[in-house]
Formats: sequence, structure tokens, C-alpha cells
Amino acid sequence: MKRKMEPVDVVIVGLGAGGGPAAMVLSQAGYKVVGFDKGPWLRPAEHYSGDELKYQNRSYLWPDVDLMPRTVRSDDQSVAEIFNFSPVPSNVGGGTSHMAGWTPRPRESDFIFHSLHGDLAGANLADWPIRYEHLEPYLTKVEWTYGISGLAGADKGAAFRSKDYPSEPLPPTRFGKKFYEGASALGINAFPLPMSHLTEGNALGRPAVNRSSFWNQYGDPTETRSSVTTTFIPLALATGNFEVRADSFVRHVKVDRQGRATGVVYVDNDGVEIEQDARVVILALGAIESARLMLLSKSARFPDGLANDSGVVGKNATFHEYLFAVGLFDNERDEPLNGWTGNYQSGGSMHFYETDESRGHIGGGIIATTQTGQPINMILPGRPTWGQAMKDADRSYFSHAMKIGFILQDMPQETNRVDLDPTVKDAWGLPVARITNRPHANDLAMSRWQIDKNMEILQAAGATRTIPVYLERFTGNACHQQGTVRMGIDPEKSVLNEWGQAHGVDNLFVLDGAGFPTALGVNPTLTIMANSWRCSDYIAQTHLRGRADRLELPNTGEVRRQEPK
Amino acid sequence: MISKADWEEVPGTIDSDSDEKLFFSVHEWDTIDAAASRIIPTDADPGAHEAGVIVFIDRYLSGIEFNFATAAGGGFLQMAGKDAVAARARNANMQRLYRGGVKELDRIAGELGQQSFKSASADVQDQVLEQLSGSPKPAPISLDSREVFHSRLQGNTDDGMPFFPTLCLHVRQGFYADPVYGGNKGQVGWRVIGFPGPKCLRDTMDGTYSTAEYFVQEYDWSELIPGFKASGG
Repeated sequence: MKRKMEPVDVVIVGLGAGGGPAAMVLSQAGYKVVGFDKGPWLRPAEHYSGDELKYQNRSYLWPDVDLMPRTVRSDDQSVAEIFNFSPVPSNVGGGTSHMAGWTPRPRESDFIFHSLHGDLAGANLADWPIRYEHLEPYLTKVEWTYGISGLAGADKGAAFRSKDYPSEPLPPTRFGKKFYEGASALGINAFPLPMSHLTEGNALGRPAVNRSSFWNQYGDPTETRSSVTTTFIPLALATGNFEVRADSFVRHVKVDRQGRATGVVYVDNDGVEIEQDARVVILALGAIESARLMLLSKSARFPDGLANDSGVVGKNATFHEYLFAVGLFDNERDEPLNGWTGNYQSGGSMHFYETDESRGHIGGGIIATTQTGQPINMILPGRPTWGQAMKDADRSYFSHAMKIGFILQDMPQETNRVDLDPTVKDAWGLPVARITNRPHANDLAMSRWQIDKNMEILQAAGATRTIPVYLERFTGNACHQQGTVRMGIDPEKSVLNEWGQAHGVDNLFVLDGAGFPTALGVNPTLTIMANSWRCSDYIAQTHLRGRADRLELPNTGEVRRQEPK
Repeated sequence: MISKADWEEVPGTIDSDSDEKLFFSVHEWDTIDAAASRIIPTDADPGAHEAGVIVFIDRYLSGIEFNFATAAGGGFLQMAGKDAVAARARNANMQRLYRGGVKELDRIAGELGQQSFKSASADVQDQVLEQLSGSPKPAPISLDSREVFHSRLQGNTDDGMPFFPTLCLHVRQGFYADPVYGGNKGQVGWRVIGFPGPKCLRDTMDGTYSTAEYFVQEYDWSELIPGFKASGG
């Protein structure tokens, strides 16, 4: 007999960017909520510090590849190999514990990619079942609850916003200033990217962000970075309705004979298997693990995996490969740029975000100038690996290099997907996620064009040599995951409706990036949090009150009403 | 099972001047120290030998006790549970890799007419490393190069690499990691490249260590962003 816990209203699996807002909204609405995370609940002030070896080389925060492996292959004919693909920290806070914290808003065009571009050969473009205006109030709520700094009006193509940012951005770093100079010389609109932190005198009255420069991939011991563990989770706990169960691995979502979710089965830190029943099950493990859990949760009603009547679960995965160009400056002539300073990015642009087909591709992504890193792992492609040449390179360029990065908006393809590996198992004995992924021609063209443009900006800023880092294959190095459980109107072609609610299982919701039908050209975290908040409002105000509603799409004038059950 | 959040903290630091060997034999210690001195040579500035890289590597290889410093740097975390099991298995592989690597260095040195790697001249040691790596000794970065690269995963674990790249990575780590791990003695590695790192890890936890002075102090958004006008207030 399995142990059984007292039933609750809502279980949330995964306490990162998707689970955090859901925990807050639903517990504040008065529902009893239990949140699970596979990993530990680390205490920032006690566990985190600026230890480069520990974070960048010994993976203190990242999933241990031997305990939680993933496998990757480029197509169905290749054998998948174990690889730490898209390593998002497996702990309470998830990706918000290590992220650099770019939190730009998406634009209107992101939601209507298929309407704008039609069918792109080899891709599976789709419109979202929501529009920017449905998300806008929630983007604002997140900016003011989570805490995001930015400079309203500086991005000339930005979509409508109902409220200013609660905080000014940080000053530029020296390499940031160079970026503005290079962009300005080429007529490119650069601006301080919205970031997950606040500065002095912010409207929320929070302490200003730490400036130790140990930032991207590090946990923040000062708790001044906006993260799920410093915002949504404390707010949820304050209601008295929310409980965190860390170190608890959810291995299965249970369904009854009618196919409604009844709760989850999890394994606690002592290896004991326990059942937790609930009226609503929310998955927010990240697009890879949410799809994996659904595929693991087979039942008589769902032999191909939970809510997978369409066969779409796991498909159309997108991963935003991070590409960049590095510029080397003259260490005798030029002032130091100090690429190890700052809170990772220090100035970006969405100038090339919207489609211009004269570039040879559709869509576009966000660029930003970013740290070249601390001493052990300083980013200098082609750096000599040993001998006098290495020592000389370190001395010459540690403070005289800069980098302009690019978040690739990869096109969804049905064949790019997550499924269960037939042989490799994790430390709990369950099949791991297998990623099949090959770049679309548009991905290759877009990234090549943009990295070449980044090199032009570096040259305009005074770089002596520019070094391109192009796309060849996906490594998951952006740690962004989207699309595996896509939202849509048509139950034949999508898994979730506009509320993140499974078409076939009305009390199952997926509230991470898995629902994104297209990848966005911006970092996904802000949109994940805003969309989770929006859908959680629906769960609290409509679904859990025994009602159902559908969303009107103003662009089409289409109104759809769901028949009550 | 103890959660990662509750791993025990074992106080104590590593003395980078120590010649006590926790993993290496005397011969292995001297061989790896010699190889490290070719990977980051001593010139007008200190190199791997002066930074105590050999102590860093010896402690790392000795087990899993020195994998993770405590956040404040006063000791080390006692790994537990599944994490410890996985780390121990990797450590055993790493020990085998190094034991074999030292033998390989001596074998190649022998082919070049030397008694051992450590007793060979610096030039011959470089030849051995060239043979071991299968490539010529790296040339200086050229500002005229048009070389192109492709994306890779961030983070640099030492999983699954052959001996020589593993050694190069570890020497680099021992030269530049926080001194709590036994290398970068007196922050000598940081001084070589001009990194004003924190005095100790504790200083990074509460804002004591700040790089605010390296940000641009005088700036005006409307100058940096042509066409942008700051809204009043």
C-alpha cells in the first residue's frame, strides 16, 4: 500500500518560473496548494557565493548528468548520446536561480507568427490562442511583483505598456558603453534590456541589486536578484495555504477511468512512494520535463501518455540556441573593457526583431552585449589551450574583449521533439527525455545574418578582430525550453487551450514554456510567468468555481464558447 | 537521506604550500607539477608551479571531500546521497585517468630518449605534450585570423575528456579558482591577468565585494540612445 497524503485543491509540479506565480495566485485565492520540486530548497544567504569553480565547472546548481541525464540526436536514424542538454537547475526556483535575468517583453508579432508568414516549408508555424493584449496586464503585474528594471520608451519598436517599470536600469559597464557607441554609429536602436533586478530608489522599496559581477549561472547570496524563491514563493507561503515539498520526485500523474487527473505519485527524499490527490494538477517542470512526465503517465485512457490523444506531446520543441560574436581590442591602445564585470548583459537591441525578408529569413531575435566571463572560463573562442600562447592570450584579452550575444528564435518543427529514451534511465529508474533536434534552414540563415551584424557592431565599436560563433547544432546552451505541449484552438493539432488547460483533461494545466506554439524572439521567462499568472487567475476564478469560459480573439472577431459539461 | 540543502559543512582550508600528498605518489606529484609548469609556464609573471596548482589537483583527485567549498569558503561540503554516489564514481574514473596519464607522459618521454618526463628539459617536455595532444604547441592568437566557431554548452565540466585536455582544464582551474581550493596561491593567478577578485568568498555574500566602481559612472541615456528622451520624473 502506498502512503497517501490528505487531498488538497491544487498540486503544482515544478517550482520555477511557471510554478511560482501559480502557487502565489492560487494560494492567495484561498485554495490549498502543494508545490513539488525534484531538487532541494537551497537558502541563498547560506548556500550561494561567487565561487566560479563551483558554479561554472563543478555544476553545483545544474542537474548532475549522471543522475538526471538527457540524450540527444539530430534525427531518427542517429543513436542518441547522453548530454546535459538545456541544463536548468533542478531545485526550488528552477531557472530563476541561475539565470542572468533578461526579462524583455514579447511583441504583438510573436503571437501571430502563422498569420504573418503562412506555412513555412519544413516548419510547423502556428498562431497563439491569445494575443499580446491578453498578456499585457499580466506582464505589468509580473514586472511590479517580481521586480524588473527597464527604461520605458527606449526600445522604439516596443508594444504598448500600461505602466512604467518599477525601477531604472543599472548604469552601463564599459563594454556596454562600447556597444551603445557601435550601435549608434550604425543607426541601430540599442537600449538597456529589462532585467530581473532592481536598482537604487526603486518603487518597490527593495534593496538595489548586488554588483559582485558573479551573476550568470550563479545563485545570488544577497537575494537581490528577482527570483521565484525571493518573490512568489514567500508571497504564497504568507497565505498559510501553500506548502513546498522539495526533494520530491513526481513520477506519475494519476487519472481516473474518465481520464480526469486525480493527483500525483511522488518519491520523497528517502525513496518512499507517496500519493497526493488534488482537484487540479498543474505541470510546470520546464518544457522538456513536463513533456516527459506526460509521456511517462500512461494509463488505459491515455496509452500514449497523458492528454496525448493528438500525439502532439513532445513535438515542436524549440530551444533558443545562444550564439555570439567576440571582439578583441588592442590592450596597448584601448581602455580596458573589463568583460568580467556587470550583471551579465549591459545593453541590447530588438532592432532586427521583426521580419524583413530582404535579409533572407523570417523572424528575428534579441541581441545584447554580455560578459566575457571570469578567469577560468573566460569566453575567447579559439583560445590556445596551453603554453606561453595561452598565458599571453589571458593577459592580453581578459580585460580587452567584449561579446555581443543573440537569442535565436528557432522555428518549431514537428520532428524536433522530446520523447522517452528507449534505454537510458535516470537515478529513479525511469526513462529519460530524448531530444531529437536539427536546425531549420531559417534558423541557420537567421543566426548567420545576425552574428555577422553583431560583428559589424563590434567593428564599429573599435574591435581589432571579430570572432563569430555560428549555429551548427543545438546544444541547449540558452537553457530556454518551449513548445513541447503547445497551446492552440484545434485539439487535433495542439494539447492545451488558451488557458494552458489540456483539451482532453479539464483539470490538467501546463503552465511553463511548454505551451508556447512558437519560440518568441525574446527570453521566455517573463512570458512564462505572465502566462502562468493569467491561466492561474482562470483556474482560481472560473475553473475551480465549476465554470468554463473561452477567450475571444479580437483580431479575428472569433468567439468560441465551451459547452458546460 | 540528507538533502543537498543540508549537506554538512566540514571546516578547514587547504594549504597551497603543503607537500603532503593525499592522492599522488611522489613521482606522480613531480610529473604533474612539471607538466602543469609547461601548461602555464613561469615567465616574468608566476606560473602554475608558483600558484600551487599541483596541490589543487591532488586534493581534487583524492576523493569528493574537496569538490565544493562552503559558500563562505571556511571549509568544504560533505556531499551525501545520490549526489555523493555519482561524484564518487566520477572521482574513481578521474583517478584512473591521471594514473594512466602519468605513465603515458613517461612512456613518450622514454621514446624521446629521456629517463622520465619530469627529468626532461622544458623543450622536450613540450614535445611530449605535443605528441600526447596530437597537435602542435598552440600558437599565439592571431589578429588576422578569420577562423569560425560553433556554439557549445556553457560551463566546462571535466566529464568524459581524454587525459591531456582534462589536465589543461584542471591546471587552468588551479591557477584561477578561488584559493580555498588550494591553487591560485595568494590570488597570484588573478594578479597575472588583472582580475580584482574578492578577498574571500564570504565577501561576495553580503555586498562587501562590489565591482560598482567598474561600471560607467557618468552617463546619460539620451546620449547613449539617440532619439530617446527621458520622461520627466
